[in-house]
Amino acid sequence: MEKSIESIWKEGFLENDALVAPTVNNLYNQKSKSITDRLKKMFKINLYAIVVMAIVIWGIYALLGVPLAGMFIFLLLMGVFTLAVKQGRSLKELDHGLSSYEYLKAFNEWIHGIISKNVKVMRFFYPLIFLASMAPVWYVFEQGEITGKILSKYPDIPLLFGIPIVALAIVGAIMLLMLVFGGKIYRWDVYLAYGSTFKKLDGLVNDMEELRK
Amino acid sequence: MSSDFYKASILPFAGIIVKICRAYTNSQEDFEDYYQEVCLQIWRSKDNFNDQSKWSTWVYRITLNVCLTLLKKRKKNGQYFASDSLPDEVTEDSHAFGDESLNELYKAIRQLSEIDRGVILLYLEEKTYQEIADVMGTNPNNIGVRIKRIKERLKKLLDGKVN
Repeated sequence: MEKSIESIWKEGFLENDALVAPTVNNLYNQKSKSITDRLKKMFKINLYAIVVMAIVIWGIYALLGVPLAGMFIFLLLMGVFTLAVKQGRSLKELDHGLSSYEYLKAFNEWIHGIISKNVKVMRFFYPLIFLASMAPVWYVFEQGEITGKILSKYPDIPLLFGIPIVALAIVGAIMLLMLVFGGKIYRWDVYLAYGSTFKKLDGLVNDMEELRK
Repeated sequence: MSSDFYKASILPFAGIIVKICRAYTNSQEDFEDYYQEVCLQIWRSKDNFNDQSKWSTWVYRITLNVCLTLLKKRKKNGQYFASDSLPDEVTEDSHAFGDESLNELYKAIRQLSEIDRGVILLYLEEKTYQEIADVMGTNPNNIGVRIKRIKERLKKLLDGKVN
């Protein structure tokens, strides 16, 4: 006679070894590994993206007739790339022999340390990138066509190197703002890309701290 | 999580948590991940528990929610495939029980829809229709009809495989 599912269930679990609950000691090992792996992967993708972007921008700027500005942006981005690679190397120096909690905490501190350092660099990076990105506009002005049109409409407008001073002042003001708020822009930029993962990392560290109490 | 909390609030339900997690996983590694995540979620959400339901109902609900969420995530990442008409190796448990009939039953349960798995597991654990309905957020009549249908399905799946 066929057994009912109820009796299969009951009899099956009569054996003592059928219900062994896993230990909860290393609760966060897997989680820690997956979140750090994810962040490392994101950093790596970011590095590739910087290189690709640097090359593409140089190409586009060359096509637009401003290869030197393109090269300038390329060099700036390669500077960022080199800095990121160097910082990535320092990550490898974190002791893997640490416990999950200690490693995760060290990893979290490493990230926040890197962001604080980068804030100082990025204050200058953003204005310079902005200045270089204006190169195609300068180039157009240099051709004289736009300046001619502006002068025909506003004949008294003061020019500097063939560019209206007002335009130069606007660019200068934006650069100044970027210099002042560069750190904030960088933090916003970073949190836009990594924010949710950073939050998870912070949450994980907090949970682990709570668990250790 | 203090060991006191684990011993007092989770361990009494460890058996059913293990049984539920087993129904949503195929390997020992996954099973341990699910089990640990369930324990963690129970601990994390302990402050949200109110006396409107029983602690056991709360534990089952979290267990099922965690299993369904993890399953969804793994499906999204292409790490898990669970539905009807799957090859045996997918529904096979790489860390099987000693009892062959129980293994066959688990294999059949894994072929059920995700919700039906939860319903039948609670039924097999002799929970009342009311309690199952509370966990699932539905009414007891619905659960009764559903269980009848699930049992028929399981019977078909097990036909000839279990003596």
